[in-house]
Amino acid sequence: MQYALAIDTKRCIGCNTCAVACKIENNLPDTMWWNRVLTVGGDHTDTPQGSFPHLSMSYITLSCQHCKNPACTKVCPVGATYKDSETGIVMQDYKKCIGCRYCMAACPYNGVRNFNWREPEYTFDFSQGSEDVPSLVKGTVSKCILCNHRVKKGLEPACVAACPERARTFGDIDDPNSAISKLLASRSNYQLLDEKGTNPSVRFLS
Amino acid sequence: MRKVASVAAVVAVIGLCAWIFQCMNGLQVTGMRDQSSWGLYITNFMFFVGLSAGGLIISSAPKVFKLKGFGNISKVAVLTSIVCTILAICFVVVDLGSPWNIWHLFVYGHFTSPLMWDLCVLTLYLVLSIVYLVMLRREDDAAGVSSKLRGMSIAAFLVAILVHSVTAWIFSLNVSRAFWNTSLMAPWFVASALVSGTALVLVVVVALRRAGKLRLEDENVQKMAFILGVFVAVDLFFLFCDVLTGAYGGAGDAYDAIIMVLAGPVAPFFWAEVILGVVCLVIAFKPRLRASANLCVVASICAILGVFCKRAQIIEDGFGNVNLTYPGVETGPAVHGADGAWQGIGSALAYWPTGLECLVVLGIIALGVAVFCFVYPKIGQDR
Ligand code: SF4
Repeated sequence: MQYALAIDTKRCIGCNTCAVACKIENNLPDTMWWNRVLTVGGDHTDTPQGSFPHLSMSYITLSCQHCKNPACTKVCPVGATYKDSETGIVMQDYKKCIGCRYCMAACPYNGVRNFNWREPEYTFDFSQGSEDVPSLVKGTVSKCILCNHRVKKGLEPACVAACPERARTFGDIDDPNSAISKLLASRSNYQLLDEKGTNPSVRFLS
Repeated sequence: MRKVASVAAVVAVIGLCAWIFQCMNGLQVTGMRDQSSWGLYITNFMFFVGLSAGGLIISSAPKVFKLKGFGNISKVAVLTSIVCTILAICFVVVDLGSPWNIWHLFVYGHFTSPLMWDLCVLTLYLVLSIVYLVMLRREDDAAGVSSKLRGMSIAAFLVAILVHSVTAWIFSLNVSRAFWNTSLMAPWFVASALVSGTALVLVVVVALRRAGKLRLEDENVQKMAFILGVFVAVDLFFLFCDVLTGAYGGAGDAYDAIIMVLAGPVAPFFWAEVILGVVCLVIAFKPRLRASANLCVVASICAILGVFCKRAQIIEDGFGNVNLTYPGVETGPAVHGADGAWQGIGSALAYWPTGLECLVVLGIIALGVAVFCFVYPKIGQDR
């Protein structure tokens, strides 16, 4: 089994709802984002690519790619980041992590692994997240775990459930009959940095 | 020596306080962020493993290959190596975000990690070099080399090569960073280790001689300076191979990584390395210049700084050259944030250390000086 995300770049409007839903669900501290919306082309965020009048604008979302051949899990000296054999999700164990940040050096995708550089700080003095998310720990690495706590209960990850454009599809890509496999079979799609050989489970429909 | 040791001890204590401050406040007090997750500490880790391995190799090589050595430098060189190994381990420890979890390495050790390999080899290396020093102290060089000592030299020599190769693999096995991902890195690290290790031993023995703590003929200083020149030449050759291979393609990840060191924000480190190397070569290969022990020390300092510049490039280019080129990707979450320290991909250095990091580094180096001064009188060096 390999849980995966398919993101429809034709549907995505760059509204950042998924990023915010993720932040709330996982009770992420101020300034930390596990999922971000990035503009394709353009010189700055939210600027079009191409030159007038041939302009176009599209977005991708960037979070842990839950690779089939992850670079991070191999290099972790204590096995604090590991591929869950049941779900294919790349997990993160805050209790085990020693904070060497080797996984961050080994991951080819920029900024998807987030280190807790300080004691997590929150604007609100109450927790916003789901009650079953573990608290973040100073001096350890954290990242998207595909809302493992929701998936276990049969729910979709928060970012998928929240997307107003229904641009995000979640499912098992090892099962040819799953909705996501059918969607990927019917549409052209790509992976980020496929040349690195990590075989990401996040696909972008184009 | 007493005085040096006490001053160093005070600096070491200041460094320790700085590290405790860092532990309490988290690594936010360093210049490292999500985008450039390693900095001065890991730079120094690579650098000191090199200093250590190089020192041990030049002290054991004459025994391994049954050559005439460099006079009675063996014990000093091995002691320098031991101190540098201890410092290298310290640099990894201060880099950890959760040093209180360090025991996890022994309990949950995950052996696909090159960091784990390095830990094993470093420990083995430290033990071997301490045993080696004890053996050297017992059998004074005059009586010739016993077969036991020779066996030990061979073991120490091989593990010294291995230890710096594994350190190279920590970086070069990553597909994520174009600048690192080259099979040249391990042999190159060994060459650089020989450069910086020989240079450090040369500086230390000349200083000890000046202080009247070591007897050493000028001829041996010159010989070391010459061999240093040879090592620098090999190191520069590897540098050229790497640059040519990256640049020749004219496009792609490897090309971008090389352009970043040739003409990008990391260029000062690259050109400093080249210039320092050439200065060292000139002094080492001109018999008239080499005749002056002071100039030999200058050459050595150039060589050491040159290798440090290479180590800095590995960090700056590795992290500065991002793979995903969407605007804003390099800002990263929780990182440079609103202060906008980043100006865009590849246009600025990815990382610059804070004063606190420098204090910790100075403290660790001072610890090494203090340990060296403390142990040196006990190794039975004839004066
Ligand atoms: S930072 Fe934590 S998860 Fe990452 S490699 Fe080090 S110990 Fe493993």
